[in-house]
Amino acid sequence: MKIHDGQFVFHESLNAAFLKELFEGDTIYAETVFEDFLRDLPAYWEKVQSSYQNKNMSLLGTNIHTCKTLFGYVGFTDLQELCQEFENKCTLNTAEAIQTDFNTLTRKKQEAQKIIENEYNRLKRYNEG
Amino acid sequence: MKTTCIIVEDIQIAADFLKKFCEKSGLIDVKGHFLNVRDALEFLDQDRPDLIFLDVEMPGANGFQLLDSLTYSPKIILTTSKTDYAFDAFQYHVDDYLKKPFTYKRFLEAVRKIQDQPPPIPAAITPQPSIDMDFLFIKADDKLIRLKKDDILYMESMRDYVKFITSGKTYITYSTLKSMEEKLAGPSFIKVHRSYIININKIDDIRGNTIYVQGNAIPVGKGHKEELAARLNIL
Repeated sequence: MKIHDGQFVFHESLNAAFLKELFEGDTIYAETVFEDFLRDLPAYWEKVQSSYQNKNMSLLGTNIHTCKTLFGYVGFTDLQELCQEFENKCTLNTAEAIQTDFNTLTRKKQEAQKIIENEYNRLKRYNEG
Repeated sequence: MKTTCIIVEDIQIAADFLKKFCEKSGLIDVKGHFLNVRDALEFLDQDRPDLIFLDVEMPGANGFQLLDSLTYSPKIILTTSKTDYAFDAFQYHVDDYLKKPFTYKRFLEAVRKIQDQPPPIPAAITPQPSIDMDFLFIKADDKLIRLKKDDILYMESMRDYVKFITSGKTYITYSTLKSMEEKLAGPSFIKVHRSYIININKIDDIRGNTIYVQGNAIPVGKGHKEELAARLNIL
């Protein structure tokens, strides 16, 4: 689904309709938010990995909760839902039991980060032009 | 006149959005942004903004614990990415509940809603003391734990935390003994020392200025002796 936000078209993996409403055509602010996302996500994800490795499920749930919120601000609403499911699983399962889910989430996070990196660069170019 | 507010939010992007929305609206004057409850409470000791945008899940204490500690009744808009807190929000009489990320339109609805309300009645924001309920919820170990009042032996103050001692387990939660005193108002609980509230029904014996509850020795403060004596059913 591609929706024009002014003239800027967000990547099809992102919830463009939501981003349009969120940024209201302010691509300068969108650029700032995408930049902040790229700045903050690695630090938060490090905490996710550390809590997973230490099998601290309660902390893992809390850390995923934070990442979930970040994903929302850049339009990854489906990834937000996946994080919510994972967060719920953290309260009921061991680290071993959610290993597959964790690996999936890690892979999706990497893909998401890559997409946002590209989107950030596109926004930057768009705003400069 | 603008509504004054503070933002209590540990995620910078979320706080920045709120600041931007406040500025854009021209209706809200942001007095400060705090990354945790402790810093916010320090500010609230000195200042009383009209409104608090309050995240629920933050490192350390959570948003509801801030509400427990308030000494006045500001408007409260909860901002969270979970909808599971709706019941708690209702119990705490919060004014609105914004699910993150939220749009400017939704933000404006919430702000207009609170600005249309009459001024708050000067009363504590804390929920009505649950005298008629036989349990309470405490936040410990990153979850809300349902604790039957009958199971509590006593509570001990630990600065900004309260330790709950039951027969089988001990819980530590971010709160104050004063707040617990209000919540547990009723015939079963009494403050016997500045650091202790006990469940009268659990007292085994009293020797001098010490109360014994299942092997635990609890001191009785000088200022509490008289009230304790009056509350005990001494033959």
